[in-house]
Amino acid sequence: MASIDYPLERPAVSLEKGFAQHLYEWVATVDHKKLGLMYVVSALLFFVIAGLMAFVIRLQLMFPNGHVVGPDTFNRLFTMHGTTMVFLVGMPLVAGFANYLVPLMIGARDMAFPRLNAFGFWIFLFGGFLLYYSYIGGSGLYGAGSAPDVGWFANAPLTEKAFSRGHSTDYWALGILVSGVGSIASAINVIATAFSLRCPGMTLSRMPLFVWVMVVDSWLILVALPPLTAAQIMLMLDRYLGANFFNTQQGGSAVLWQHFFWIFGHPEVYILIFPAFAILSEVIPVFSRKPLFGRAAMVGAVVAIGFISLGVWAHHMFAVGMSSWSNTFFAGSSMLVGIPTGLKIFNWTATMYGGKLRLQTPLLYCCAFLFQFLVAGLTGIMLAVAPFDWQLHDSYFLIAHFHYTLMGGLVMGIFAGIYYWFPKAIGKMYNEKLGKWQFWLMIIGFNLTFLPQHIAGMLGMPRRIYTYAPGRGWELWNLLSSLGAMVQFVAVACLVWNLVHSALRGEPAGDDPWDGWTLEWATTSPPPEYNFEKLPVVRSSRPLWDMKHPHDPDWKYE
Amino acid sequence: MSVEEHHGEPGERTQETHVQLPAPTFWPMIFAFGVTLLLAGLVTFWAVSLIGFIIVLRAVWGWWHTVIPHEEHEYVAIEPEHRPAPILVEYRSVVRLTVGEEGHRAHLPVEVHPYTAGAVGGLVGGAAMAILACLYGLVREHSIWYPINLLAGVILPGMGNATAEQLRQFNAGVFGAALIGHICISILVGIVYAAIMPMFPKYAALWAGILVPLFWTGLTYPLIGILNPAMGEHISWPWFVVCQLAFGLCGGYVIARSTNIRTFQSKAFVERAGLEFPGSHPEKEPQ
Ligand SMILES: [Cu+2]
Repeated sequence: MASIDYPLERPAVSLEKGFAQHLYEWVATVDHKKLGLMYVVSALLFFVIAGLMAFVIRLQLMFPNGHVVGPDTFNRLFTMHGTTMVFLVGMPLVAGFANYLVPLMIGARDMAFPRLNAFGFWIFLFGGFLLYYSYIGGSGLYGAGSAPDVGWFANAPLTEKAFSRGHSTDYWALGILVSGVGSIASAINVIATAFSLRCPGMTLSRMPLFVWVMVVDSWLILVALPPLTAAQIMLMLDRYLGANFFNTQQGGSAVLWQHFFWIFGHPEVYILIFPAFAILSEVIPVFSRKPLFGRAAMVGAVVAIGFISLGVWAHHMFAVGMSSWSNTFFAGSSMLVGIPTGLKIFNWTATMYGGKLRLQTPLLYCCAFLFQFLVAGLTGIMLAVAPFDWQLHDSYFLIAHFHYTLMGGLVMGIFAGIYYWFPKAIGKMYNEKLGKWQFWLMIIGFNLTFLPQHIAGMLGMPRRIYTYAPGRGWELWNLLSSLGAMVQFVAVACLVWNLVHSALRGEPAGDDPWDGWTLEWATTSPPPEYNFEKLPVVRSSRPLWDMKHPHDPDWKYE
Repeated sequence: MSVEEHHGEPGERTQETHVQLPAPTFWPMIFAFGVTLLLAGLVTFWAVSLIGFIIVLRAVWGWWHTVIPHEEHEYVAIEPEHRPAPILVEYRSVVRLTVGEEGHRAHLPVEVHPYTAGAVGGLVGGAAMAILACLYGLVREHSIWYPINLLAGVILPGMGNATAEQLRQFNAGVFGAALIGHICISILVGIVYAAIMPMFPKYAALWAGILVPLFWTGLTYPLIGILNPAMGEHISWPWFVVCQLAFGLCGGYVIARSTNIRTFQSKAFVERAGLEFPGSHPEKEPQ
């Protein structure tokens, strides 16, 4: 490819533009690519913050009778860690990846509602700031306040005025409510964009799987978030106006809160994992040099997961004491999700099977996803068995299970996506060697942290305890876990260094470094503001393949 | 890469010099800030809400002006030097999977027994087993109800406490439970037999008639105490083996005699499932 008489690199941004102009460019932008990058970058910043919180948690639990932080600080740490990871890392990553890639993949110039898009980003960011402002203002402006400490699902009646003085819980409700508006805005936008701005020839059956998954994800956001917002408003009514929805002492119901929260909370888990599904469905085919196996079935599976995930919420509540019919129903429906999810894992594996694998960082992370998400799925099926859950509910086994889902699954998928599209978004190549280093450190660190937690959980270690006495057999597993956290710390530092350094000093990437098949690789890296000079016309689900192989195009066979 | 050639995609070029895009505006940001302040007043001080409200009003006004009466646009110049590199045409050919290729999926059976044969075979095998079991009851315990009561222990855990005398008595309820359980299990196992017999590479009769019943006995031996405590206490293992063999031989014989039906195995799984992949459909001309 050396014979291209074409400038691969854009000239450096002219230095005449002052700082104020740069700032204006980013603050006033309605460009989906800039907003997407801002989403992803702020999510990564929050990821580092919440990761550091987890690091302190692990330091505290490294040895029995730890004294790194006190119990109150510990409660705030795990609350803010969970809340941040779910609402300020996972959700903006959904929005960020969808924003950046959906218009490029369907051959559009921008999202359907560009200004709503900008609003969505800013309100998410300000919501995040509001949540973190609680560290200063938790007891009102005049007290020495602090952050929420009620856990990320804020179970009633702990959140009632009688048990949670000051404003910390209000910050939790308001911060999430505000940033949730952003998620709704971007979900509406993704759906409208995918359904109305596809380029000529881009039928739904030719739409890249990434876009399909993001559309289903957006529907899930639209269905799942309003119950949470409603519940948070009810909570605010309880706290400000004495409404007693969840106040058990006045005839309210604490279980009601759990139902409301988990009607949101379980679909939320799928909302969070879907971006990883979306990324895998793009990365694995390109790096296996084979089209995705069972495309239609993959679409069907993701839609099925979307539907089923709306009917499983009470598997978080087996220990509440529901009727045995409820337990049976929710155990059954929870196991049902395993079928389409298993199908997806089979199809990704089948895509790789017999392919010409290019074992570069993006594909490595996909492989890690497949293994770790499988473990998460298996422990998930175990926990779906109600009597099993009674034994291990709220133990470290559960912590290990959902960290395998969200860290071993979602985060690994996101890493794959970051490495895959970094050359496109920045126009520079990342450092592959450092990427591989990060991969191995991450895999070792992650498994060292969370594998032992299964055992600690089975030995009876409950979640959210700020310390423990020696002699219960938990010491070794906690020590290993904390050592793993340190390895992960180094791995994330590698990632940050790799991204920053490559963005400044990296080799020019070229338009299509991976020999990709979807439309984003048909334009410049980074793409111009208008994405495509002329809107493309596509005839198959791999438009770029057709252009590269005019004598053997896909449309002949689809 | 074998042969390459430069290939500028004509679809990527246009004579236009500018592209129309929505104009940048900071009002959505200001609006978001105002909404946040409005709510932040709840946890700080009422004046914060007031300021937030004023900002919201101003931002709404500003935002509307970007779309009413006309949506504001900016014209972004197309910079020819930033056009994407020409797409390289690759003349490497792709090996495609031909559907129905002989030998491709030959490891799965091309013909199977119908499920009905499995059900019938299961019933016949179950009858043979029951006759032998009752014979055992008559010979050893002088009551044909004895093995039937024992079998019911799978469904009725209370049978574990029954005395040997009670086990010899007839009890209609227990008899019904044992009968239904036996028939259901016999049909199920028969269907499994029908499904797996064509999959044995060789000696299907030996597997179905002798080996599988022996394996089954081996599996039952350690588990009987959990599955059926009543039977675990009173069981006679030689008779158990004989009954299992009777099921395997009789049921297997009935199934083996059935007329085989062809499977879809000559077609690839993806095709049977109706999935799309390149090569799965005949070539067609562009619309
Ligand atoms: Cu769940």
